[in-house]
Amino acid sequence: MPREIITIQVGQCGNQIGMEFWKQLCLEHGIGKDGLLEDFATQGGDRKDVFFYQADDQHYIPRALLMDLEPRVINGIQNSEYRNLYNHENIFVSEHGGGAGNNWASGYHQGEQVVDDIMDMIDREADGSDSLEGFVLCHSIAGGTGSGMGSYLLETLNERYSKKLVQTYSVFPNQMETSDVVVQPYNSLLTLKRLTLNADCVVVLDNTALNRIAVERLHLANPTFAQTNSLVSTVMSASTTTLRYPGYMNNDLVGLLASLIPTPRCHFLMTGYTPLTVERQVNMIRKTTVLDVMRRLLQTKNIMVSSYARTKEASQAKYISILNIIQGDVDPTQVHESLQRIRERKLVNFIEWGPASIQVALSRKSPYVQTTHRVSGLMLANHTSIRHLFSKCLGQYEKLRKKQAFLDNYRKFPMFADNDLSEFDESRELIESLVDEYKACESPDYIKWGMEDQGDASVAAALDSKLVV
Amino acid sequence: MDDPKTLDLVKELVLRLLSTRSPSPSGDPSGDLPHALRYAHRLLSSRMSPSLAPDEPAMAESIKRQLAVSGRSADALAFADLHSKLAARSGPGSVRNRWALLYLFKSLSDDRRRADPILRAPAVGGLPALPLDPHPARPTKKALASSGGVLLVSKDPENIREIALREYADLVMEETEVSESALVRDVLYACQGIDGRYVRFDKASDSYDLPESLKLPRSTRTMVRRLCELGWLFRKVRRYITESMSQFPAEEVGTVGQAFCSALQDELSDYYKLLAVLESQSLNPIPTAGSDSGVPGNYLSLRRLVVWLAEPMVRMRLMAVLVDMCRNLRGGAMAGAIHGQAQHGDPLVQEFMGRLLRRVCSPLFEMVQSWVLEGELEDVFAEFFILSQPVKAESLWQEGYRIQSVMLPSFISPTLAQRILRTGKSINFLRVCCEDNGWADASAKAAAHVGTTTRRDGLGYGETDALEALVVEAAKRIDQHLMDVIHHRYRFKDHCLAIKRYLLLGQGDFVQYLMDIVGPELSEPANTISSFQLAGLLETAIRASNAQYDDRDILDRLKVKMMEHGDGDRGWDVFSLEYDARVPLDTVFTASVMKRYLKIFNYLWKLKRVEHALIGVWKTMKPNCIISCSFAKEGPVKMQFVSVLRRCQVLWSEMNHFVTNFQYYIMFEVLEVSWARFSEEMDAAKDLDDLLAAHDKYLNSIMEKSLLGERSRDIIKTLFTLFDLILRFRSHHDRWFERINELQLRGRGKSRSKSKEPGSWVDGGRKAMIQLAREFFRIMDEDLDTIAKEYSASLDAFISQLPMQQHVDLKFLLFRLDFTEYYSHLSSSK
Repeated sequence: MPREIITIQVGQCGNQIGMEFWKQLCLEHGIGKDGLLEDFATQGGDRKDVFFYQADDQHYIPRALLMDLEPRVINGIQNSEYRNLYNHENIFVSEHGGGAGNNWASGYHQGEQVVDDIMDMIDREADGSDSLEGFVLCHSIAGGTGSGMGSYLLETLNERYSKKLVQTYSVFPNQMETSDVVVQPYNSLLTLKRLTLNADCVVVLDNTALNRIAVERLHLANPTFAQTNSLVSTVMSASTTTLRYPGYMNNDLVGLLASLIPTPRCHFLMTGYTPLTVERQVNMIRKTTVLDVMRRLLQTKNIMVSSYARTKEASQAKYISILNIIQGDVDPTQVHESLQRIRERKLVNFIEWGPASIQVALSRKSPYVQTTHRVSGLMLANHTSIRHLFSKCLGQYEKLRKKQAFLDNYRKFPMFADNDLSEFDESRELIESLVDEYKACESPDYIKWGMEDQGDASVAAALDSKLVV
Repeated sequence: MDDPKTLDLVKELVLRLLSTRSPSPSGDPSGDLPHALRYAHRLLSSRMSPSLAPDEPAMAESIKRQLAVSGRSADALAFADLHSKLAARSGPGSVRNRWALLYLFKSLSDDRRRADPILRAPAVGGLPALPLDPHPARPTKKALASSGGVLLVSKDPENIREIALREYADLVMEETEVSESALVRDVLYACQGIDGRYVRFDKASDSYDLPESLKLPRSTRTMVRRLCELGWLFRKVRRYITESMSQFPAEEVGTVGQAFCSALQDELSDYYKLLAVLESQSLNPIPTAGSDSGVPGNYLSLRRLVVWLAEPMVRMRLMAVLVDMCRNLRGGAMAGAIHGQAQHGDPLVQEFMGRLLRRVCSPLFEMVQSWVLEGELEDVFAEFFILSQPVKAESLWQEGYRIQSVMLPSFISPTLAQRILRTGKSINFLRVCCEDNGWADASAKAAAHVGTTTRRDGLGYGETDALEALVVEAAKRIDQHLMDVIHHRYRFKDHCLAIKRYLLLGQGDFVQYLMDIVGPELSEPANTISSFQLAGLLETAIRASNAQYDDRDILDRLKVKMMEHGDGDRGWDVFSLEYDARVPLDTVFTASVMKRYLKIFNYLWKLKRVEHALIGVWKTMKPNCIISCSFAKEGPVKMQFVSVLRRCQVLWSEMNHFVTNFQYYIMFEVLEVSWARFSEEMDAAKDLDDLLAAHDKYLNSIMEKSLLGERSRDIIKTLFTLFDLILRFRSHHDRWFERINELQLRGRGKSRSKSKEPGSWVDGGRKAMIQLAREFFRIMDEDLDTIAKEYSASLDAFISQLPMQQHVDLKFLLFRLDFTEYYSHLSSSK
């Protein structure tokens, strides 16, 4: 009766990072490419059944659903050496295979069309688990399939499995380079609305930051998707270690997330990881202590979300919560010393409207993966500066929307039929209110925020949409 | 002498001697006969020996010369010839004691030449003058002057000194009713504990004394008394010995007492020997003043006795002191008491005590050896300083043996004693609890290493260093062996880890499932819960979690335990887990230790339950829940709802902060840190006592730091109040959200109906519902207010109590709870 987690990978990006994630999990649990346990994997102590189940022939099968509207990436997986790992019944590729054309509305619409097939798969997988804890969705918010179909899935899951957790690993587009997807601000905005309303926790993976980290920290001149994706898989696997290696605390996803998300709306998490290597390439090996790791995790350059805040705003940004998952050979007494040092140096700003602290979870390291560092750490943080990322998205949307650019592509689909663009407006309003809430969290009066302000009624109306529709 | 034949022979000889003589001036030779006969008897019965060196040729030469000088050279030649013939003779019938014979002849001839041959003591040579009557009638002055005067004049022309001495002797004689030799004999008797003629034991004064009526010089009296102290002491020692020996084999005596008695006995037999010698000497006549020559020097006077008995007196006194001291002591206590007297500067005493102690302690040393090397307690009379008590195997180590400090002799230091105790205890523990025989090798090796075998009498008193070396070596090896057995055969650390995993909730996934599945069960009243069912659930939890991969042996020891329950107790109050450590590990995990583990389990379990409750709250208002996003369209209600919801969330967040940080504190600062220390000490532990101490420290540190200690009573009350408040919050919350869901459904139903049939919208119904909602939110707000106020009051109390706690590490808890100094700011702004 493990607290199973079903992973749903949607779209090109979702499947790519998903595949990296499974690769990493297999490595850590000593599971071979065909799902069979390696001979050396006898040390136990790990829980494989959270993410895998065993077929009749004892080989491990990931609790994963692979979906795409075009076959390219999934075909790639099916032709790779990992082809026998996945349950082939869990792979969904749209019949016509035309993809969503980077159009959120197309992805959403197609999702609606195939909902029965997809939900059948999900139900089957859910029924196969004893006490399903929730779902993890991997996708990007900029394209068509991951964002559109992903959004549709989020809504459906939320309705069908309202008691289960829904966590997403959402890849935000790289803002630094001109994207081939011109409509990405539209897609992002529309997806963000679903992430706000229908997900319990969104781990924001900002491609801009991932690229920056690859260039700056890993000294890669032109980081490939595969390289940035391996950063993502590192984060994903690290954030699940406490689930996979049970200890005194943080043994389930809900426990992990509950402390990170005290107020429901602010459920967008940033991540940081140190020390970073890509593809087991040996970088500069540093001395790693708990303090080093915790200190580095608080440095913005290690955070996998770009900070678009101006200096003044940045100084006001506050942590709502922090969870550091420290892996490796750690003396528990070091944790306290490190926390003390961090407080003395005032390295971290927390919200003022309630008590808060850095939570530290110690977790075992996989015995099968050799790392050059003694200690590594992942930070999951709920930080108010994420609102600047949303503001940036809003800003880009406003620019595009003002020009009324590319809206025709959306009008082709039912949601926007008859030139009904209220979905855009509602989404914008919702995201604006989200940004406001994050901003409010920076003030000590968050508890009273919105109470005296009657203008909030419009937001309330937006929120009501769910109820009224 | 008493042989009548001999007596007749002597009489015949005397008669012949007298008859061959020229008639004496006093006339009738028959008148001299009784005198002469008595003289001969005394002479023969005496043990006197001449004061000359027994040199035969010198004696022969002297006789020859005497003959030659008196003009009988022919006789001299004949004597020489005869003597050489006598000397040449050997074989049966030969005379062995030739020197004595010659001496006799010489004395007789000397005697002949004297005028008054028998009764007058000769001045030079001749037969010794012996008083014929022990109480001779006092010779009158005249007689003395008339009879001895002639000779004296011829011997000492001045004569003045002799006369003075005589007069002094007379004076002494006048004062003395009893002769000195009689007193000497009496004293010797007294020294053997026998009443003499004059010297008798007086019960009233508890001493030997002379009767007051006896006329004696004061000095003599004092001397006798002083000498008789020895008799008194002797009596005491002898009485002790007889008493003890007659009691044996009673427990009051024991082997040490026996050894003591026998040592005393040996000392006494030496003493007897001395007394026999003295007694024989006492037969020698004591020369009276003035007659200081011609008598053998080895007579015994009172004064001489004082000298002779000085050393025995010291010994006897010592013995008497020891006897007194040991009267009510036994075994080790006795040895200790005797040892206490051995620290003496006098080498005589030291030597004596050493001899005594070697004897006395030998049973003890044997016991130590057999205890340390074989674990045998050969102590029939409970004399050893280690005492065994019949106990169950589980408490053998703790209570089975203990040191009886009364019986611990002071020459064995307490640390050594502890080590001795532990070594034998280890052997017994191995034998009884571990059913292990490997210790025999270890002890044999230890003995071989030190160079002692297990033979008896290997060591004795005064070899404490050797003993210590043996004990240390044996202890080292046996403890090492014991540790090996405990660690490897009984996998001590694995069990500690298992306890940490299951009783201290380290195996998080297992605990979670257990909480999930027994939770509903435990909400029932305690008396309706079946522990069989719970046991089944426990098994399910094991199978569902990673615990399933654990050793079956370990899992089998894990059991559900229902504590005693009173009225109104819920399952939560009585449920706990138990770990059956089994022999021999139950020596570490004793019932009382397990009770403490139980206490910790219940505490952590409670904490987990609170955490579980809070997580449940979070789930009902998690981000993608409909409730968290919306309510009704109406502004004021909406505001009310948002407001009350946020307060609810913020309160939850505060509670959650407290509970999670408390748990982090428990995990890092309490469990893991304590474990790390324990683990280190466990590896360093050299013997079971170390291990027990380390484990005890581990448990104590957990108890103290997690506020379960005695001194944290007040604060834990506050903590439990907080827990109760959180649980109350949970149940309130469940009710609120049920109601909210209800309202929402109704609201939804209304809006649906509105969309379908716009005309049928009943405005009043909606208004009523809004009214209902407003009312509900108001109540919820009030409830929330109450809980929040109580909670912050309790939390304030908790935080203010924290710094007052004794344990230093509790500041870590405060540090975590108030990491952002939120509470300090709050309290300073008040």
